[in-house]
Parts: sequence; structure tokens; C-alpha cells
Amino acid sequence: MTSRSLGQFYPVASPVHDLDPRAKILATAVFVVGLFLIDSTVGLLFVAAALVALVTMSRIPAGTFLLLLRPVLFIVALTVLFQVLFSREGVTLAEWGFFEIRSGGLSLGFFLALRILLLVSSAGLLTATTAPVALADGIEDLLSPLKRVRFPAHEVAMMMTIALRFIPTLGKEAEKIKGAQAARGADFSEGGPLRRARSLVPLLVPLTVGAFRRADELAEAMESRGYRGGEGRTRYRELRFRKRDALALAVTALVLLVGILL
Amino acid sequence: MRLELRDVRYVYAPGTPFEVEALRGVSLVVEPGEVLGIVGGTGSGKSTLVQHMNLLLTPTGGEVLVDGVDATTLKKSELRRRVGLVFQFPESALFAPTVEEDVAFAPRQLGLDEEEVQERVLESLRALEAGELAARSPFALSGGEKRRAAIAGVLAMKPEVLVLDEPTAGLDPATREDLLALILGLRNAGISVVLVSHDLDEVAEVADRVCALQEGRVRAIGTPAEVFYREPAQAPATVRVASLLRESKPEIGAPVRFAETLDALRALQGA
Amino acid sequence: MEHPGEGTRNGGSFVVSCESVSFSYPGSGRPALSDVSFELRPGEYVGVVGPNGGGKSTLVRLLNGLLKPDSGRVLVSGRDPATEPFEVRKHLGILFQDPENGLVAPFVEDDVAFGLENLGVPRKEMRDRVAGAIRAVGLEGFERREPDTLSGGEKQRVALAGLLAVEPDILVLDEPTSMLDAAGRREVLAYLETLRAEKTVLHVTHHLEELVRSDRILVLNGGELVADKTPERFLSDADLLRENRLVLPVVQRLALEIGLSPARLRTPETLAEAILAKTESGTRAG
Repeated sequence: MTSRSLGQFYPVASPVHDLDPRAKILATAVFVVGLFLIDSTVGLLFVAAALVALVTMSRIPAGTFLLLLRPVLFIVALTVLFQVLFSREGVTLAEWGFFEIRSGGLSLGFFLALRILLLVSSAGLLTATTAPVALADGIEDLLSPLKRVRFPAHEVAMMMTIALRFIPTLGKEAEKIKGAQAARGADFSEGGPLRRARSLVPLLVPLTVGAFRRADELAEAMESRGYRGGEGRTRYRELRFRKRDALALAVTALVLLVGILL
Repeated sequence: MRLELRDVRYVYAPGTPFEVEALRGVSLVVEPGEVLGIVGGTGSGKSTLVQHMNLLLTPTGGEVLVDGVDATTLKKSELRRRVGLVFQFPESALFAPTVEEDVAFAPRQLGLDEEEVQERVLESLRALEAGELAARSPFALSGGEKRRAAIAGVLAMKPEVLVLDEPTAGLDPATREDLLALILGLRNAGISVVLVSHDLDEVAEVADRVCALQEGRVRAIGTPAEVFYREPAQAPATVRVASLLRESKPEIGAPVRFAETLDALRALQGA
Repeated sequence: MEHPGEGTRNGGSFVVSCESVSFSYPGSGRPALSDVSFELRPGEYVGVVGPNGGGKSTLVRLLNGLLKPDSGRVLVSGRDPATEPFEVRKHLGILFQDPENGLVAPFVEDDVAFGLENLGVPRKEMRDRVAGAIRAVGLEGFERREPDTLSGGEKQRVALAGLLAVEPDILVLDEPTSMLDAAGRREVLAYLETLRAEKTVLHVTHHLEELVRSDRILVLNGGELVADKTPERFLSDADLLRENRLVLPVVQRLALEIGLSPARLRTPETLAEAILAKTESGTRAG
């Protein structure tokens, strides 16, 4: 059983899932840029409230969504700790020897933590509500004007699709090889950094060899199924930009504008 | 060594929406010097079960006992040396530039001196009739050769119990027969073997006892004849033929292995 | 040579022909195939067996232009795959050994559509053909599943659906069950069985029981075509089997050992019946 990891698609039916992937990609881009223009905690809190509403609409259970955030909690904690311990602004709230906690550090830490969480949540919401293929199709379509300057939009999208397809496969394979080497006495957690790096060789070599073998077989299968690049190809999935997609984009922009002004 | 599993339970991803109960209380014993066949379909829990035998997975409930001692109290490295586990498609973990180097990996991890390491490499390659592969690159071998090299890599720890998860999967029938003969050879050299397989015909040929798993539980355990004749519809071809004949010709008995079955059929025709 | 079911075939015209085909991999001293010639008639089901390294995979890859012969010629529906690979690939689909590595898309239905997308089939037609192909392999309801969550047998059925959607006349099966467990094998074989009447099939395998109902069996060893026989003659030829490292399944081996015909007795049931019939007549005669 593979554990669900950050950004994995969560297949349920919801108005958010139903949006055109291009609208969602653009909205996420607007959201991320907007986040960096917001300089007040109140502004961030307002945007956060809007995002919570959106997650609720997406019908992804809160617990599962929070699970998505788990991998970044360490970074968030580190950021807060760093600010709290090293900031020299505001009034001193507590003191132990060299360390003092100041109000400025605390509030800046909170602000940065919130920004990181919002950043990750928005990207997570995009990938959790958009099927990987739709995501790739959306990106291909958004990049297609660049085809005129010979940008390989189709190839980039195909690479993404294949990467998405094989991430779980390679993840399982890595687990298995790790188990097999552990059964032969390998220990991936013991010793100093050099020893630990060396202990990865029995894991990385077979994983790489396996990935190359898979790539070879995949190329053969694709060619055998008549693949010859983007030329003359039709697409199974249809992208339709409807009124609600435009509306979603407009609402996103509006929310961020309010956040910036607050 | 006597390896015992007592009421072992295992739950994947507990407390998440993806929770799965893979083992629901499995008890069995691997007796010293026997070949225990473990059979069962997809989702029966076979692969989860074998990873408990050297505690690569820690049971959610129940215990694993080595000669009566709780295995969790033993050093992990010691346990993994004594219970050698060969995963399905083990050749996917080959990594060294030569077969020799690859087989030497486990004994080196044990901290043995180089002379002992070399001795064990030769010994285990010889046991799998792979001596001539020593200097070759593991990536340039045929499927059957890779498989033997990978098993030698575990055998080099001199395990007391060798656990093989689907050791013949993906091999052509002739190569499979050769490998099964080698596995019997290991048993004759005193190693207990746990053979996990979906192929009932091969289990019938080599197992001393059989454990049938179904949905994470032991459905039956005993001699091959006891287990297979209980449900002849899900039995090796030999047992299916014999049990069909048994209704009108009870004198055929309960043969399991190919040679036994052939003798019984010949006796029937001669009579 | 007998060809059961002659009515379905219009003999004479060949859908696949190999004329003295030879091929060596670059840097290898020994040819992988030397001077191989054979033909497939429309609707025939032909098996290919032989030891690893005997040339089976090479042959498969020459048929759709993944490899090009050093000498000799391959023709598929009148076209040469060495010069017109894309045309040939519309008519000839290959089901490979490991379905895990052949599935391109992260969802079942998208993968089934892949070949049609490559052909530039309009979307509306594509929807119907994808749905039809998924139905043909019994995977309705699996459309939105990720390949990674499927069993081996199911993955191979997805791969098969992807081929069927393109509607090729010829199917080449390259050891399609060798990576599967017993249940997966049975499941894939059951769906392959349904294609027997509709397609011309070339089935490469190590498992002789998969070929007992084929029209002919070709044996490749050391890059040469060493035999081309009916299953009846082939399965009873112990020397030929041994020389090519082929092992009969248990039921057939038992039959052969007690002097019954292995090709007719495919299941434990038919073997048990034959034994009973024989002992009974034996008792009466005695």
C-alpha cells in the first residue's frame, strides 16, 4: 500500500474538481504571486479563510488535506524557531541565558509560517483536485502559444504525464529494494554522513538501472502503439473554459487584492 | 532453528483512510530442516507474512519467536542473518559491478574478515551452481542466472532459515525446474526453507508441509496430502487428477508428487 | 498440415510473411536470427516457443519495425515494417511481457486512448472505441483507476484494451503471461481466447499449455527456425521438447508417461476420464 503523499490527486466529485485545469493553474499562479505581495498578517488571515472555504468546497476531508501538509511542517517549525530565537525586534517576552523571545520574532515567525502553509496548500489543492493528465493537458495548452517559438510544449506535457505515471511505480520499487538490502544487513540510518551516503549506493544503483530498463521498455511500447510526437495527434481529454472558470479566476484575484490592501 | 509466528496481525497505514488489515491472526511454525510451502492467491497476505519472519515489518499484534525467544529482543542484524529473506524478483536489488562483489555485500555487512567473506561467496555461488558467474557483471546475465546470483547474496549470510518469496516467478519452466532442484539441495544441506508460491504444482513437488493462506488467515496447514486433498478443486494438477479417480478407484490413495502420482496411475492401469 | 476451422480462412494470401530474415545486434558476433522464413494466413493462431536467447523477442521486434533486418524481408499486410513502420503498426499490435512498463497514462481510460490519439482519431469516435475496448476486456468501472492500483492481470488487460482500441488485424503476444501469477494468467488467457476467431495471432510463450489449441507451433533455437508443427505432433515429440528446454505441463506430462495423447487431454478432468475409460476397457478385455 503506498502512502498518499503531498499533492496526490484525490478523486471525488466537487465544483473545484470540475473547473478547467487551465483556470486552476492560472488561479494558483495568481494566488502564489499575490501571497508575496501581502505584507500584513491580517491580509494573510483573510486569504487563509478564503482558502479554507475553497478546501471545504472541494470535498476533500480536512484530515486528508492536513496530511498533505505534514511533509512541510518541519520547515515551518524551523522557520518559526529561527525567527523566534534570532530576531532582535519588539519587546522581550522571556529570557533564558543567551536566548530571549521577543514579540517581533514571534509575530514575524507566525507571518512566515502562515505564508509557507498557504503556498503549499494552494499548490496541494491544485494537484489534489486536478487529475494528473488534466494537469498535463492544461499546461500543454497554456504553453502552446510558445510552440511558435519552437518551444516543445507537447513533449514537456508528455514528459510530465509519464513522470506522474511512474512516480508511484518507482516509489514502490525503492521500498522493495530498501527491504531487500535491509534483509542483507544494510543499514540506511547508521554512521556519519559519509557512511550514510555510501550506504545509499546499494539502493540507488539498482533503482537507476531499473528506471533505465523501464524507460527502454516504455519507449518500445509507445513506438509500437504508433507514437511519433505531437504532430497530427488528437486528444482524448477535452478542455472547456466556461463562465464559471472565468468567475473562479476573477474571485481569486479579488480575494488577493483585498488581502494586499488589508 | 525453530521459527514460530503466534497470532500475528498486521495493519497497513493504521488510522488513515487507506487502512488495510493484511494479516488477521496468523500462527505457524517453521520446523528445523523442513520445506514449508506457503500458498494463497493475490491479497492472501503472503508477501506481508514473509516480511514478519525477519521483522522487516513489525507485527501490529502477536509475536514472532526464534527458538522460543521473542524475536524483538534479538539484535536486528542477528535476526536478519539467521532468517535470510529473498524478495520476489530479487535480481532487481543487484547493484555491484561483479556477481562476486554483490554476493560479498551481506557477509561484509556482518563484519567478517576478508578471507571468510571470500570463502562464503564461493560457497554460496557453488550451492546455486553459479560459480562460473563470479567475475561477470550481474546486469549482463540471463534471467535465471540473475535469480541464482541474487539468492546466493542472501545465502552468503549462512541463514538457518531461508525464506523465498515467489523464487520462480517470471522464469521459463525449464529454468524453474533447475532452481527448484537447487532449493531442495539447500534443504538437504540442513537449511529450513520457506517457499512462498502461487504455483501449486511446484509446491507439491518440494514442500514437506503446506500452509494455505486466505485473506490474511491460515485456511489450512499440514502435510501436502492433508491440505491439498481437503479442497481438491484448488489443488495441484496431480491431486486434481487423483481425486477425480478416487471416487471409483479408491486404491489410488493420496499421491501428491509427480513421481508418486505416476506410480499410482501405472499401478491402476496394470491392475 | 491440418488447419482446423478452414472455413474462416481464405487461404492463399498471407497477412505476415518473413522471407529469409537475418538479424544481428551491433557488436554481437552471433546472429540473433538467421535465415528465418514463415507465413501467417489470415485468422491463424500460431505459437512461438524456444529457449531464452533463441530469437523470439528479436522476431517480435522485426515484425513492427522496432528493428530492421540485415537481410531478407518482412511483409505485414503487404507493407514492409522497415520502411513503413507507422502503417504497419496500425495493423499489427504487440502485447509485451511486462504491462507495468507499457502503460503510459496515469488513468486506465487515458491509456486505452493513447494509440487512438497517436492516429489522430476524432474525439467523439475515440470515446466510443475506448469504451468498447474496455468492455471487451471486462474492465467496465475501471476507467478512472490508476494503473498502479491494479493487479498484474488487470494491467495486462488494460494493455490489451489499448491494442484492441486501434483495431489491428494482427496481434503479437510476447510472453504476455510470464510476469503474472496463476490467477492473472487464467484471466488474461480467457480474454485472449475470445480473440481467436477475429484476429491473426502470433503467440510467443514458454507455457505450452497456452498453445494446445493453436494451429501451428514454431520453434526458434539459436536464431534458427528448427520446427513448424501442429500441436498434436509437437507435444508428443519428447526429443524436440528436451532439445529446446521445453517442459510439458503436469497433466500432459502424466498423459504422455502413461501412453495417452497429451494434446487432447488438456485438463485434469479429461485426463481422469481417459484413464477411467482405458482401465475399464482393460478390465473388460481381461
